[in-house]
Order: sequence, then structure tokens, then C-alpha cells
Amino acid sequence: MLEPLIKAYNDAVFETDRDAAFAVVDQAIAQGVPAEDVVFHIVIPAVEEMMAQLTLDPDANLAQHFMTAQIAAEVTDKMLARFAHPPEIIGRIVIGTAQGDLHSLGKRIVSGCLKALMVEVHDLGVNVPAERFVDAAVELDAPVIAVSAMMAHTANGPQGPRRVRELLHARGLEDRIKLVVGGAPYRFDDQLYRSVGADGWAPDGVTAGKVIVDLIRARPEELAALALPLEGQENSGRPFVFSRSRGETA
Amino acid sequence: MSPLEILVAAIGGQPAPRIPVFCNLIDQGVRELGVSPAEFYRNGELMAKAQLALLKKYGHDNVWSLSYVGKEAEFFGCRDILFADDGPPNVADFVIKSWDDIAKLEVPEDITRHPAWSETGRCLSILRDEVGATHPVCAYLTAANTLPTLLMGIEKWLELLMTGPADLIDELMKKCSAFFRQELAACRAAGANVLVYSTPFGSTSFVGKKRFEQFSLPTIRRDLENIDMAGLVFYCGMAPFNDVIASVRREFGFGAYYISPLADLAEAKRLIGDSGLTCGVIDDIHMLRWSPDQVRAEVKRICDIGKPGGRFLFGTGVMPLDVPEANIRAMLDAAFEYGRLP
Repeated sequence: MLEPLIKAYNDAVFETDRDAAFAVVDQAIAQGVPAEDVVFHIVIPAVEEMMAQLTLDPDANLAQHFMTAQIAAEVTDKMLARFAHPPEIIGRIVIGTAQGDLHSLGKRIVSGCLKALMVEVHDLGVNVPAERFVDAAVELDAPVIAVSAMMAHTANGPQGPRRVRELLHARGLEDRIKLVVGGAPYRFDDQLYRSVGADGWAPDGVTAGKVIVDLIRARPEELAALALPLEGQENSGRPFVFSRSRGETA
Repeated sequence: MSPLEILVAAIGGQPAPRIPVFCNLIDQGVRELGVSPAEFYRNGELMAKAQLALLKKYGHDNVWSLSYVGKEAEFFGCRDILFADDGPPNVADFVIKSWDDIAKLEVPEDITRHPAWSETGRCLSILRDEVGATHPVCAYLTAANTLPTLLMGIEKWLELLMTGPADLIDELMKKCSAFFRQELAACRAAGANVLVYSTPFGSTSFVGKKRFEQFSLPTIRRDLENIDMAGLVFYCGMAPFNDVIASVRREFGFGAYYISPLADLAEAKRLIGDSGLTCGVIDDIHMLRWSPDQVRAEVKRICDIGKPGGRFLFGTGVMPLDVPEANIRAMLDAAFEYGRLP
């Protein structure tokens, strides 16, 4: 029953056609498909499919990444309001741009994908001091800090990810909190992330979603502690458990 | 031959002792003069003084009138620039905060009478007087299709471009194009002889082939309609653009193409052919970590690809401030050595 909807939705996302994607979602709801199934059987697989396709496709472009994340986040928001019970999140992260950096696009793409993948995203905004990243991760018990930096000096300078690494080390948090970076300079030099002390990086926003989810999934002992409702929702009733391999509900 | 004559020879495929060697040392001026970034970037005389000092120090071929990319936003009313001690300034307050602001956006009637022009004009006039007869004097001009990133941020610009009404996008493009054409004329009149047309949204890495044809190409047409193309360089802000070279070459008369380090340089050279100068650009983000020997090897690789057949220039990208001086020297020594022509 869902196959035609899934195909139509995937085509719309790949073509960056937001209106067409929403039309598919509306059609699904009109046909009586539960909002939960729309998210877990249509939206999340589409994000994962786009992650795979955009990584392999040499012609993938920024507009596609942006719209993939935008559509996923908007549809997820719309569907969450219809959920019978709040979904279970798979983890939470803090994200922001490095100190001195005001470029917010990468952060937005990553956040959009992660929200659709049931990751709770705490967006610290732009021009974020390293101390704030670490303080927020500790306060929120977030296992991942994601730092976006689009300029050479914010990606590689002493006040960006390097400072976050120093603080994680100084406070003995390196086992608990992983550092992920993204932004143009890391694309030009794919080993730069190592020299600034990051645990991972991604060449684009959509792939970053996958890298972060993989890091969260790699920490099973903390996932149990993170079985919390999405921000602003109560965890009442039986939560939907997101199958990490196929996006199925249980 | 002077560096300017070498450049002209390279563009025309004429004999010269070596290829042109461009090095974009802009932010380095702050350290060279030992002043604060805010003071430096707001003073055209300091900008010019730094360019001339760096030219003397390193011996490359070109100077820049660009202070920082966000400067163009100041012509539209931006008042808030975030200066950094270790890198270029950012636009901190976008003049277009909502789509409604586009209708209110005003292009100055004469940008040369706008306060934001005075220091750029002053810098250009000093550079023209000092080295304009012998050296390429570069100006940076943001294409209409990319200027909104400075006016509203790339996030909001993509949102508008991908989901907004066509008439509103067109209204914004008309205003941005009107500004571009004025800025081009002003820079040229003030002494710039290399005019870098910066159009990241002309790269399919940004918008894809379909949108390039439906959106980017028409905006480039509008920008360049009846423009004297002498000295104009096609540049997509370090994004690759090999797959649009044929279209751009067919429609416009760019004298040079500034190729992304992420692109296949050999393919770019083949696509450009004799229609213009191929500029092989080193990945200067890697130069933050490379050793001088690695830098030399990369310069050699680039020159080996680009030099055969002539019409080739070696250049740098953003040249971050933290690139070690030893690497800049190694790069330039190697470029002059491997760029020698028979």
C-alpha cells in the first residue's frame, strides 16, 4: 500500500520539490496512513536513501542537501503533531557554528536531517564559544557535539573545535562526548578534522546526519539513558521504538 | 616583461618567459602592518600599503583592492561587521531579514558617491598609481545570483530560491544585477584591470545543472549584457564548475577561468581550450598542514598539467592567514621555477 507513496515521496525529495513532497504526505494521511507510518516508513527511509544517493552522486548539490533536510524536518514536524504517542528519540546532540563563524546553513541541514531521524537537536546558534558547547553537552548529557565551521580560521583556529577538544580533555569528558566537525575547509583537506581533534567529520550536511547517528548508535550504554521524549512532549504510553537499521516501528 | 605583460601574453597565447603567478594575500596585510583588523579593513590606504609591501616581500604578480567580501553588503545598509584577529570579517547583520525587505532594498544611485566606496576607491587609486602600469590590479565582484548570500545569508537565500515566488526572486536579482554592473564600472574606472566575477551559484555544486540553466545562466546574462568583457575572470568561489564551462564559454567572452582545486584541472584546460586563460589553483587549505616539500610537489603537479599548450596561470584560493610563511615562499619559488616557459 505504501510503495507508490514511498516512490512518489522519494522522487519529490530528489527533485527538491517541496510542494510535491507535501502533496504525497497529505495524500497518505487522506488514505488513512497513520502519521507514525508516514515518518517511519516514508520520511526516514527517504532521508537515509538521500544520504546514500547524495554521497555517491557526483552531481549532488547544495540545493539538494538543503531541500532534503528542509522537507524532512517540515514533514516530521507536521506529522509529530499527529502522533498518538510521542516517539522515542535515539539520542541528543548539541550543535552550533564555531566561534567567529556566522554561517548557519550547514548546521541547519544537519539539524533538519537529525530531527527527522529522531535525534533531539539542541541548536546553540552561531558564533558559539567552545566553553558553551561543552557546558551545554554536559548539562544536557549529549554524547555528541557538532561544530560547523565554514572559514579556514574558524575551522582550524585555536578558538574553534581545537578549543572544544582541549576542554573535553581537560574535564575528562572525552569518553562521554564525541566531537564532530563539518564545513568547507574540512572538504578541501579531509584530514583536517584529525588535526583539530575531532572524532569525525562529514563532507556535507546530509552525510553529517549519518555520521552523528552512527556515533550515537556506537554508544549503547548511553542510548538506554537517552530514551527520552522529544523536547516539549511527554513520554506517555508506549513509545515508538525506532529500529536503527531499517526505520521500522515496533 | 612586466607581470602585466606576462598576463596579457598568457591570455593571448603569446610567448613569455614564464606563466603568471597570482597569490591572494589579503588578510596577511593585517599582520604585515601590525594594526587591528577593524582599522585595517576600513582604511583603503592601509589596504593598498599592505598589498604593496606584500608584493615587495613575496614577488608575486598581482595586488588586490578587495578588503572583505561582506563590504558589498554595506552599500545596501549593512552596519554590523564581525572582525576577527585571525581571519576575514563576516557580515553580522543581514539587511534582508524577511522577504518583505526585498521591496525596500535600495541600490545606490551612484555607488561611487556612497560612503562604502570611498576606501575601496582610495585603495584602487593608490594601487593604480603605484603598480597599475606593470601589475594586474584585481577587484572582486559578486554576481547577482550570489550577492543575496551577503544580504540575507545563504540559508535564507536558498530558502527563497528553492521555495519562494518567482517574481520576488526576479525583483531581487534585478537589484543585485544593477549593483553588480555599477560596481564593475566603478572598479574598472578606478584602475582595476582584472575583474573577478564571483558566482558560486553559477556552479552546479550549488544548484545542480537544471537550476543552473533555468536560474543561474539567465542571471549571468543579465549581469553581463553589453558589458566589455576585457579582464573578466569566471570564478565560482572555489566550487568546481567544469560541467558548465562549455555553456559559459559558448555564451560569454570570459578571458580567464579560475578553476577549483576540487575540479579536474586537465579536463578544465581541455574544455577551455584556446578560448581563455586556465587558472590552476592550489588547495591552500591543505597548505595549512603541508610541509614546504609537499607544497612544491603540488605546485609542480599543477604546472605539469596546465603549462603544456600555454594560456595558463598559477594561482591561490583564499590563502588563510595561518598558512606558514615558509609554505608561501615554497609555493612561489616552485611556481616561478616550474612555471618557466621555453
